[in-house]
Amino acid sequence: MTLNSGRIWIKTSRQVLFIALIVLVAGFCSNKLRSDKIPLVEDWSEKSNPVTSSGENLEISLAEAANLFKEKRSIFIDARSKEEYDAGRIKGAKSLPYKEADWKFVEAMAGVSENSSIITYCDGETCELSMELAVFLRNAGYKNVRVLSNGWSVWKQNGLPVDTGK
Amino acid sequence: MTLYHGARIALGIVFIYASYDKILHPAAFAKVIYNYQILPGELINLSAIFLPWLELTIGSLLIIGVWLPGSVFIGNILLIIFFCALMYNKARGLDISCGCFSTGTDDAPQSNLYLLRDFSFTVIAVYLFIKVFMSDFAHSR
Repeated sequence: MTLNSGRIWIKTSRQVLFIALIVLVAGFCSNKLRSDKIPLVEDWSEKSNPVTSSGENLEISLAEAANLFKEKRSIFIDARSKEEYDAGRIKGAKSLPYKEADWKFVEAMAGVSENSSIITYCDGETCELSMELAVFLRNAGYKNVRVLSNGWSVWKQNGLPVDTGK
Repeated sequence: MTLYHGARIALGIVFIYASYDKILHPAAFAKVIYNYQILPGELINLSAIFLPWLELTIGSLLIIGVWLPGSVFIGNILLIIFFCALMYNKARGLDISCGCFSTGTDDAPQSNLYLLRDFSFTVIAVYLFIKVFMSDFAHSR
């Protein structure tokens, strides 16, 4: 490197600055003009994060859930629709679709003690049903409810026992 | 066409292709960024709005062949950041979609494939970096 090699860095910095300017204008204007614009800053802190409003994290790891499953110490509850449940579920899981939780609750939770370990799940990284159902159950008095995020996908992918049919 | 031109155009196409779906679907891309669980909430939407345009801009510059030091430099930084993000989430066992070329959620995320793909782009980018910056050193001597 010579003394002159500093020049390319000056050139590079200037270009990076210009590029940043173009990007700022393009991004800002396109977002301003489009119909499906998103806010520049949005509160993401409460979305599909298995953290309750009081700050308690309900997330359970797959390893821990699989362990509890093996030892038959937890009850798994499928928060998806009945159709999805029928198409494939964690072996032995109960069905309690979150959207119908209000009126299916009594039937689904019959015989489950309030102290039982309960694990809710749905499907997809961004699925919020399991978390909502967990909060619902906690409000109903179940103390030990955890959420297996993206549960159905990770369970299936790891070859853990599943069930199908009604 | 030399290897140098080929590399520039190939990397340019990669960046433009990567920007396309994200520019069309900013909300879906924001969700992808959120899933990485790396950026603080305040930066998620800003990244979703500006990152695709950055990819489009440097992709175009790489193909046209102007402002090469700037675009090659940014390209390297981006690919290295992407690599680290993918690596980080693989290490902590987070099974998420890449969001590299589409804003959809893959059925079966494959972090090894994502890493390998990003690595091969980085090789091209580093090659261009050496070409652009070293030749300039040679000229200015």
